[in-house]
Amino acid sequence: MPTRAEVLELLERGDTYGAVGQAFGIAPGKAYMIATGRPADGAPDGDQALVNPRAHNPTEKPAVVAWVRERAPRELTRPEPS
Amino acid sequence: MTPRLPAPSAWPVVRQLRGDDPSARGDAAKSRRSATLQPRTADADRVVKSVCPYCAVGCALNVYVKDGKAVQIEGDPDAPHSRGRLCPKGSATLQLTTGSAREHHVLYRRPHATDWERLDLDTAMDMVADRIVAERRRGWQWEVGEGQDAKRVRRAMSLAALGGAALDNEENYLIKKLLTALGVIQIENQARVCHSSTVVGLGTSFGRGASSTMPGDLQHSDLIVLEGSNMAEAHPVAFQWVMEAKARGATVVHIDPHYSRTSALADVFVPLRAGTDIAFLGAIINHVVSNDLDFREYVLSYTNAPTIIRQEFEDAGADGLFSGFDPELRGYDPTSWQYEGAYVAAAAGQRDQEGNVRLQHGQGEHGPESRGTPTLDPTLQHPRCVWQILKRHYASYTPEMVERVCGVPQDLFRQICDLFVNNSGRERTTAFVHGVGWTQHTIGSQYIRAASILQLLLGNMGRPGGGVMAMRGHASIQGSSDIPTLFDTLPGYIPMPHAHAHDDFASFVTADAPAKGFWGDMPSYFVSLLKAWWGAAATKDDDWAFDYLPRLTGTHSTYDTVMEQVKGTVKGYMLFGQNPAVGSANARMQRLGMANLDWLVVRDFSLIESATWWKDGPEIESGEWATEDLATEVFFFPAAAHIEKEGTFTNTQRMLQWHHKAQDPVDDQRSDLWFMYHLGKRIRERLAGSEDEMDRPVLDLTWDYPTTGDHEEPSADAVLAEISGFNADGELISAYTELKDDGSTACGCWIYCGAYAGGVNQTARRTPAREQSWTGSEWAWAWPANRRILYNRASADPEGRPWSERKKLVWWDADQGKWVGEDVPDFEADKAPGYRPPPDARGPDALAGDDPFIMQADGRGWLYAPAGTASGPMPTHYEPQDSPVRNRLHRQQRNPARQIYEHPANRYHPDPGEAGADLFPYVLTTYRLTEHFTAGGMSRWTPYLAELQPELFVEVSPELAAIRELAHAGWATLVSARGAIEARVMVTDRMTPLRIDGRVVHQLGMPYHWGANGYATGDAVNELSSMALDPSSHIQEVKALTVDIRPGRRPRGPARRALVEDYCARAGITATTGVAP
Repeated sequence: MPTRAEVLELLERGDTYGAVGQAFGIAPGKAYMIATGRPADGAPDGDQALVNPRAHNPTEKPAVVAWVRERAPRELTRPEPS
Repeated sequence: MTPRLPAPSAWPVVRQLRGDDPSARGDAAKSRRSATLQPRTADADRVVKSVCPYCAVGCALNVYVKDGKAVQIEGDPDAPHSRGRLCPKGSATLQLTTGSAREHHVLYRRPHATDWERLDLDTAMDMVADRIVAERRRGWQWEVGEGQDAKRVRRAMSLAALGGAALDNEENYLIKKLLTALGVIQIENQARVCHSSTVVGLGTSFGRGASSTMPGDLQHSDLIVLEGSNMAEAHPVAFQWVMEAKARGATVVHIDPHYSRTSALADVFVPLRAGTDIAFLGAIINHVVSNDLDFREYVLSYTNAPTIIRQEFEDAGADGLFSGFDPELRGYDPTSWQYEGAYVAAAAGQRDQEGNVRLQHGQGEHGPESRGTPTLDPTLQHPRCVWQILKRHYASYTPEMVERVCGVPQDLFRQICDLFVNNSGRERTTAFVHGVGWTQHTIGSQYIRAASILQLLLGNMGRPGGGVMAMRGHASIQGSSDIPTLFDTLPGYIPMPHAHAHDDFASFVTADAPAKGFWGDMPSYFVSLLKAWWGAAATKDDDWAFDYLPRLTGTHSTYDTVMEQVKGTVKGYMLFGQNPAVGSANARMQRLGMANLDWLVVRDFSLIESATWWKDGPEIESGEWATEDLATEVFFFPAAAHIEKEGTFTNTQRMLQWHHKAQDPVDDQRSDLWFMYHLGKRIRERLAGSEDEMDRPVLDLTWDYPTTGDHEEPSADAVLAEISGFNADGELISAYTELKDDGSTACGCWIYCGAYAGGVNQTARRTPAREQSWTGSEWAWAWPANRRILYNRASADPEGRPWSERKKLVWWDADQGKWVGEDVPDFEADKAPGYRPPPDARGPDALAGDDPFIMQADGRGWLYAPAGTASGPMPTHYEPQDSPVRNRLHRQQRNPARQIYEHPANRYHPDPGEAGADLFPYVLTTYRLTEHFTAGGMSRWTPYLAELQPELFVEVSPELAAIRELAHAGWATLVSARGAIEARVMVTDRMTPLRIDGRVVHQLGMPYHWGANGYATGDAVNELSSMALDPSSHIQEVKALTVDIRPGRRPRGPARRALVEDYCARAGITATTGVAP
């Protein structure tokens, strides 16, 4: 387990908690806890990304847009030019 | 062998005191055992964003997944509305999904069989498709009536479906779309039996039938009045906002028959008799109007207080009947309630039923413009203006009457009045919170109206910390109202058409679309819906396929469906996650109906009571039925859970939240989206090539959704994109204002238009709360147009200035020429406050710059509802169907227009004071617990929850326990004219005996979650209730009924029914008891 000084050294170098975690083979949240003394979960400046694995939350699906584009001309009429 | 203890030097406390970890938060707390432990989340490989499937708070979930399996579910701390918190049910969702009580395979019960057998999924799907096709053809109706009275209905009356509030919006959409195309009109869900009264009450008052606000805004309230809601237990995560307000200095009032944790956390608790809230609220209205304590500028500008009513209108005075009542029809002709000089349509409630009347009054030779303009008296002095009518109507609702009717002492009542008045106005706001304690009455929709009137009078609508917060009960019960698996509406609250003599699209929109406001654009919303459903087949020349819609001929609610089952009209029935044998009123009637079916489909997680009544229901136990005699064929399909599929839930604040799939369902478990899509495909294959006109709506239906995976799961994204809407260029539309009535746009639900704007799933947005404002407008998406607080134009004065700095929300920025503020304006963004419409303006253009209720036909909040309700334009106190007390406010004992049903298993109790009434002397009210969920299908099979609340109980006061010799923790039997049940006795001060009109009335309280199946078993409380409904919302009365209670367990076998029959005989109950209008 790295010491606080070792973690802070990498952070001061500009590494993220994710990179620090990777460097020492620990979770990013654990690096945060070593550096700050507080759990990342719920800390005011903490981040879920430090505690949790990568979140799965896609908001775009090109296949759906393509499906709508293929369907629309078949089913809808173009408005009369005003 | 004696276990070896570790050396004292290794004991944690010694290590704590001797070592360098005195706080014991590090090494001192570690042991060999703890060294082997790690959190379930530690080796998860991803986190999937999801939503709790229980109540409508919609708490956000993080689902931890390892190797494709969920290993842990926790609250998502990023969520602005739930802030990472979960109640016991939400905390148990992992067990709900991974528990061993879930069924994995299709089960089939042959007619007359005594047990289930396995059936492969494909065969079962084919069998259901065959039965639907055959039954549809057999029971098809083209017309009702004969000769010149014949009306085209185009429908399949022998098929029905129930359930959808626990499903995704996309699933409800496919259910409604396919079944409507098949001609099925008897489509219902939990929203009917839970909050349908809210939709009518809020919709007629303000223009939309959903909560005007969100729990998170309660933090800005100065006074929160919770009435008809035990929010701390039924919606505990949302209750955090009440506590937040309290911490900021707000006063919290709880008004309820039953003391609960909500009461314990309130500043003031007011116990009142169940079923008397209108008397209580009406008296506050009287206090406000008779003492001129209203927010006058708001009332004059934003409500219909100045509007003059027709001369022929007669108020419900001492007799309790408004003008227009027909005792033969047991209903009102609302014509006389209308405005003078105008004929307006309601934004909700009884719409197309009244459409024919409006057509006669409104169309004429000049078209709908001849509906006229309401006449106003801004002095409020005209004797027929709404203000004066309201004043007269509530004049008899005095503090003395509150004490006599509700059992609330006058000084306590006056304290509540003062709290309302002192916490409303420019600087302060009051919020109402209600649940099904208000809705489930024979006049439930008027409970909501009464609160709405008060909020309008005090200027609390559309403002921070104000509004009416309806706490809804299922994950997507709001969604299943918006995209309705309900008989009387189409998506977006477009009324389902009734069979009329002149029946085309133009007549329909002329009758139902008002000349003014956003409902004036109904043709665009409706044509876009018909284009979404029937695509190229919906053309202007073919009247946009309007004829493809089946027609209503009255009420076809779930209770009407039960009667049709009993009569033998309905032969095929599908249940989607709903358990009527426990959750609907009069459970025996539900079983009588199902026992008369040819076939029944049940889709659920486990074998709920509605799936197994034929082998272990109460009628089998009593010997009344033999399983071998029952011919109903039953199909059970195991359902996929929320983390096994994608889609949206719409929560109680109108917010659509997308939940992602975290793991695959196993074996035969499938989503309802899969079920409906593949059922539709199979039906269309069977009808392919048909030239029968009845099959055109099915064959022309747009039903080509893209699919993925081995199971060919349809894309919920694609369904949501269709719901959200697109144009002829294939662009995903941003707002309903872009919809057209010329066939160039398609939109499956106009109020959800924009949910997929720009090809981005807006409902999946999850910007953490700390990175945005308190409105949380970047978390998911709320209808309409992502507005979080409805009617927020009213947060500013007529000139567009905030009423006060403390309560500002949106306001007019003259420099920018638009409305700005914390929320998306619920108003046309660039319409100036001073805008006055030209005389010929229609639709939104006809709204003035100071008309904040943009869905209303006059742009105003309705203190008086000239249309839309079936029980009168103003709430009136009537006693519940079964009550031990005479109505002291009006001669009319009960709501004269209530819906009742004649059947030997649905008898009502005698009037108070009549012979036999004393046999049912106690008032029973029902409620729900934190640890269980509605009819128990998602909680009684979950071990954690079953263990937390293992048994049905009845709460009784120490006084009543002494009278009836009931022992705490002992058994009691409760009896009504419908049934007899048993429960454990809880003797508690939480039930307060009330002094009503000179005598003591005792009340009982019971949770209603139990049934015979699952880990926690007990009798269903709905064995006691009757089918007696509110005529506007068709909801049952289960919050106030009467019963007897006696010590000991209920009889077994035939003696159980004999006990009920003995009570009925001794009470002299017949088919005519309690049925007078």
